[in-house]
Amino acid sequence: MPGRKSEISAAVKLLLPLLVATAPFGLLFGAVAAEKGLSTAELVMMSAFIFAGASQFVALDLWGYPMAYGSIILAVFAVNFRHVLYSASVGRKLSAFNGWQKALAFLLLVDPQWAAAEVRAEERKGQGGVRPAFYFALAVPLYFAWIFNTWIGSVFGSLISNPEALGFDMILPIYFLGLTMGFRKRANWLPVVFSSGVISIIVFLTLGSPWHISLGGLGGIVVAAIIGKPKSDLDHNPAKPQLSQTDGN
Amino acid sequence: METDIFLLIAALGLVTFLTRSGGYVMIKMFKTIHPRVEAALDAVPAAVLTTIVVPVAMTSGWKEALTIMVSALVGLRFGIIGVLVFGTAMIAGLRLIF
Repeated sequence: MPGRKSEISAAVKLLLPLLVATAPFGLLFGAVAAEKGLSTAELVMMSAFIFAGASQFVALDLWGYPMAYGSIILAVFAVNFRHVLYSASVGRKLSAFNGWQKALAFLLLVDPQWAAAEVRAEERKGQGGVRPAFYFALAVPLYFAWIFNTWIGSVFGSLISNPEALGFDMILPIYFLGLTMGFRKRANWLPVVFSSGVISIIVFLTLGSPWHISLGGLGGIVVAAIIGKPKSDLDHNPAKPQLSQTDGN
Repeated sequence: METDIFLLIAALGLVTFLTRSGGYVMIKMFKTIHPRVEAALDAVPAAVLTTIVVPVAMTSGWKEALTIMVSALVGLRFGIIGVLVFGTAMIAGLRLIF
């Protein structure tokens, strides 16, 4: 297929910083899981089946005997609820994917993967959007790196004596901050970011984590729906509103 | 591995997949997308990512708050890799000094 090579090389360019940014979390997860007494099989299966760092940490937090099955499932659902928003948003941009490719794409829809797909969809607007070659060239290595890193972490976890001194705990927030800044030319970015920020901090201090993510996110989204100029009412193609360019990477 | 644990992890994987495909399935049920829904969906990235960053910036301490603020300014000029390298170096440096 023409262009497949350039799709893959675009993904590979994004891959290295992402591997660096996510590795500490995999290592840390493995280290904590081993400390909690999970076997290697349980740990690897968890990373392979769930593949969602934050929710795996939450599950680990509740892990113990007797096992609180209901609480763990509910907590994982709550932490992962933000993905509903991801798939609603990026799902519109996967028209080049067939049914199975879509299912696989959603299975691998982790935060950085989703953000990269959103940025790619804007860059390649009118040029085919997000292609499967791009998506999976990024997603598949991230998936196996996550499993590998959590496993390595469980084996050598005790060697990371003080991950905070190296700023490991701040890497993902900083990464997400950089992405948020990259979307700043989208319509109504400032009011959306402001309202999401305010609501998330209020929820974080009252209801607590992880509800600040879903509720804060919903707040910004509702604001966008209210103030968003329904520009595409005037267009002939309501499915494709104008988006401004982003310099997200 | 005990069967119970195996089933639990499988259930967690299923729940995660349901959230990752659920939004798409819901959007698909509607034939056309209303412009306001479209505007709402376009706001999803900035809205959700902000909620991950802000509580960290505001509840972790001054070093973290300062790092997030300065990194945001760096983000006005540089791309994601620049922000990542600068921000991580800054927080590690601040924690080393103070």
